[in-house]
Amino acid sequence: MLLFNTDANTILTLGFTFPSLVFIAGLVFVPLGYLYAPVAASIVMMAALFYQLLEEFKKSAFSWKLYTPLIFLLFTLHPMFVFAAVTGRRNAIVTLVAYLIFRSLFRYYKQPVTYHLSLASIFITCFIFTNYEFIWLVLAFFPFIFLISLEGIKIHQDDSPLFQYFEALNNRSQRRKLANRTASIYLVLFLLPLMAVVIFRGLNTQFAGSSTYFLDSQYANWRITGNRIVRNLISSATRNNFIYQSQIVIQGFILFLTPIFVAALVLFRGKLYELFTILAMLFYYSLMLLDYKFTLTLSYYLLFIPIGLVTICYYGTSKYSIRTASWIFGVATILTIGMGFYFFMHSDNEEEYQFETEMNGILDNWKGPRVLSESEQVANYITSIVSDKNKILVDDASAYGIVVHKGDLNGLILPHQKSFVTIVENPTIAAKYMLVAKKDNVMHNQTVLNAYNLQQMIVTKNLRTLLMYQTPNWAIYQIE
Amino acid sequence: MPVSVLENMVSVGLFEKNKLREIEVISTEFGYCYIKTALNFGFLTRKKYVSFLEEEGFELVAVREEEMQESYIEQCDLLELNALLYVPLRKLEDGHLLVAAADPQDEKLKTLLTGRFQMPIQFVAASDLDITWLVHIKRGEYYVKEAVFSLMRKDPEQSGLVTFTDPQLIVIFGAVALFVSFLFINFVKTAMYANVLFSLAFFFIILFKLYLSLKGSMAEMNEMVNKEEVQALPENTLPVYTILLPVYKEDKLIRKLIWNLRSLDYPRGKLDIKLLIEEDDDKTLNAVRDLDFPANFETIVVPFHMPKTKPKACNYGLFFCKGEYLAIYDAEDIPDSDQLKKCVVLFRKLPDEFVVLQGALNYFNKNENILTRMFTLEYTYWFDYMLPGLMSLDIPIPLGGTSNHFKFDKLMELGGWDPFNVTEDADLGVRVFEKGFKVGVVNSTTLEEANNEPFNWIRQRSRWIKGYMQTTLVHMRNPARLIRRIGWRGFLGFNFFIAGTSITFLLYPVLLGFLLVYSIVKLTFVTALFPDWVLYIATFNLVAGNTLMIYVNMMSVFKRRYYELILFAALNPLYWIMHSIAAYRGLWQLIYKPFYWEKTNHGLTKVSSSANQAHVVEPEAAH
Repeated sequence: MLLFNTDANTILTLGFTFPSLVFIAGLVFVPLGYLYAPVAASIVMMAALFYQLLEEFKKSAFSWKLYTPLIFLLFTLHPMFVFAAVTGRRNAIVTLVAYLIFRSLFRYYKQPVTYHLSLASIFITCFIFTNYEFIWLVLAFFPFIFLISLEGIKIHQDDSPLFQYFEALNNRSQRRKLANRTASIYLVLFLLPLMAVVIFRGLNTQFAGSSTYFLDSQYANWRITGNRIVRNLISSATRNNFIYQSQIVIQGFILFLTPIFVAALVLFRGKLYELFTILAMLFYYSLMLLDYKFTLTLSYYLLFIPIGLVTICYYGTSKYSIRTASWIFGVATILTIGMGFYFFMHSDNEEEYQFETEMNGILDNWKGPRVLSESEQVANYITSIVSDKNKILVDDASAYGIVVHKGDLNGLILPHQKSFVTIVENPTIAAKYMLVAKKDNVMHNQTVLNAYNLQQMIVTKNLRTLLMYQTPNWAIYQIE
Repeated sequence: MPVSVLENMVSVGLFEKNKLREIEVISTEFGYCYIKTALNFGFLTRKKYVSFLEEEGFELVAVREEEMQESYIEQCDLLELNALLYVPLRKLEDGHLLVAAADPQDEKLKTLLTGRFQMPIQFVAASDLDITWLVHIKRGEYYVKEAVFSLMRKDPEQSGLVTFTDPQLIVIFGAVALFVSFLFINFVKTAMYANVLFSLAFFFIILFKLYLSLKGSMAEMNEMVNKEEVQALPENTLPVYTILLPVYKEDKLIRKLIWNLRSLDYPRGKLDIKLLIEEDDDKTLNAVRDLDFPANFETIVVPFHMPKTKPKACNYGLFFCKGEYLAIYDAEDIPDSDQLKKCVVLFRKLPDEFVVLQGALNYFNKNENILTRMFTLEYTYWFDYMLPGLMSLDIPIPLGGTSNHFKFDKLMELGGWDPFNVTEDADLGVRVFEKGFKVGVVNSTTLEEANNEPFNWIRQRSRWIKGYMQTTLVHMRNPARLIRRIGWRGFLGFNFFIAGTSITFLLYPVLLGFLLVYSIVKLTFVTALFPDWVLYIATFNLVAGNTLMIYVNMMSVFKRRYYELILFAALNPLYWIMHSIAAYRGLWQLIYKPFYWEKTNHGLTKVSSSANQAHVVEPEAAH
């Protein structure tokens, strides 16, 4: 909306916003309405994933009578797939891109041509731009890249990789080849993602004065306000799975939730580097847990399901008979769907919890009167009071839900406008109202327009305000 | 009674009889006299031949200095003179016509000439090369004029004789005038929008190259021709294949050339190889004369005519070709041994509309210095990825200078090469599309010598970029017609790829200059002139564009396993500065010397091509 409905600083708004693919994908669907664009995008992503999986399975030895209903059931019954498709959050694109990365790598292993490798690198770039923390995937990919390089130089192919390494390192020409090949694969896979980040940091330094502006500013990156750090999770935990998100057992929990991934490992027959590739995401989770700052939402466990599926597709048909493999595949899929329900029943994530509640009562809600959300109520109130002369000061980084529900930017004074800071310092010059985050609002500390600052302004600048409207988290004041 | 010197050689045991039979077959097929076949198809060395003639009592005359009555030669056709290797000199006092012949014992020729001139013939022996030189100089005028002006006469719209047409000059000067006027009206805004436009053009052209490379890399998955298909090709169905080798002062490369040609896996009786030498190039002619092993090519001397360009020489050579297919190589080229067979297979496999095939070019001296490494990376992505990408998208393919394989009749139909275009190959590639035909890419490599000297490199590159500009100007004379002929996709692809290549190199230093002035020197007037968002876009496009080009360079190492070159890809931004210097030089020449052919010096490398040839890795689907 900021891009299409204003002409103030449009380029810089886009330029400094973290180019999250979720956001960019949503832009395509803007004609459907700002509120529905992200949902439409995520539905399309999941549909694309469904189609891609079916297309890939067509090439496998499994019967279409098996994989088509199984994949269909996964996409329609597994609550996390449904959640990813209908909430408009980034789970959908993360899952799709993760699948595409692994598919490209597996294709490269089967037919080592540059095309597959290049696509893998482009998808890794996309992956990072779905969630910045995925940049550390770079480290998780190390082990198998070393082994692929070894595969390429073709010495003592029948011996163990360790012996091959020993041989390669003790021969000058082979050593050089090994080093060059390792560096080449690594560079081609990671040049684009790393340079994309470097360029973005450089531009941020040059134009915003901070190389991490796109990561740290709530005006540039939705994750600042959208994600919860561990402390928040613990303090708000009312159920019982938060502990898995901060402990080393996360990998175990993921495996528990994704029997299909376990089945893929059981059915797997291939080379060591192929196994390491499949396990890369688990390595990645281990790496991420080394630093307490990073908290991946557990909902990303979803991406292990398509990875498991594509592994079964490529490596799951040679170890056992196709009949046995089909049984394992089928049972694992059913179990995975079951685990999806288990996860939702125990989820601590506020939105997942909300989703579960909504889904549980979907029939009643459908029949009963429509209940407006808090954001919608506030938005409706704002619409009723503002005009071009009576504007309201809003920080859309924290109150994005309200701004989206309002549907347009008429009568709003927003942070992307150059005058915003001046008006915050002295609201009386241009604003008639201001939207303030109340003390209990989780966004309280993410915005200058909060209850604390309002109090400070009242004291120091002798600001006179009148409370017009309030909900549990938000309050609208008139400035007199 | 023996009818040629070869039969005499057989009779004294200097020549094998079975070879003579082979020569007879080839001579009949090509319409050549025996001695021409023997000397040009690798049966006999010139030294051995001359010494035999001398032993037989025939002293070779210096035919180029002989007195000549031109009325006799004017009764002869150049094609026959060239095929039968004789030149009528003058009438002697005893009533004989003195004829210099490469084979003074050729009785068949004597009978033929006696009948034609109605007088007894007296032969004197002369070097076949001198006879060739003389007959082309004396009788080649018509052919050389055809070589120069034929395209212009048949299809003036496609000829580069006129560099800028009047409407083009109006558009160019109009655009400049408009730009300057806007600068006067509102300097800041004009400069601002021009900056944005240039940087966006730069970025999108590079983005398009990345897309092409990705499309092209898909081609790796399907080999156009595989080894089994080549092996299954019956030898007796192989057509005559002409190879044109235009050279100028390449005397040092002649020996290499012969060895490279010998390694071609194609029956020698089906190979019609023409070495095209300029009239004033005695160096190369003498190098051929002094060879101490049999030559496997025919020498054609191109009479002097401006412009002195490679396409003119090639067009001239076309009159003497015998092949169903025709390939062009440079003197230093080392084609894959099965390249010709692959092309035969591919021509037979592809639809009839494919009239040209382009082989991949690469370098045998890739590790010689930084420049050769960069050049290798560039050629690798260009020929291994971009050209297949263009083919898959059905966009005009600018042919590379060598390893082009044509269907001969279609090449003639197209009008040959434009002698006024200094990248006649690229121009012909586009013309092929305009005429409704297509260019294919064959999975076979020709190794060349990478330019290892910066100034020589800039000269060569300036010619290429000038040629791209010429090609753009020729084909954009009537954009609406071009769209009608090659469609929107072809039109956009042509502009992005051929016009875009020159534009990116011209823009690069300007954009780089802005970035340096703004980011590093931090001159305030730049920030005063351009708002932040303009500089943001410009910086992003330049940096991202460079990164993508580095990435494209890096991609290229995989197909040929040139892993050791990957880090050199990072030097691409510097390499592009050299391109920009060449581009401005090319632009200057386009205006002042449009037809001037910047000669590239070959043979500068210290790397032996044969040593490298052993290490050439056939690009393969599986690494």
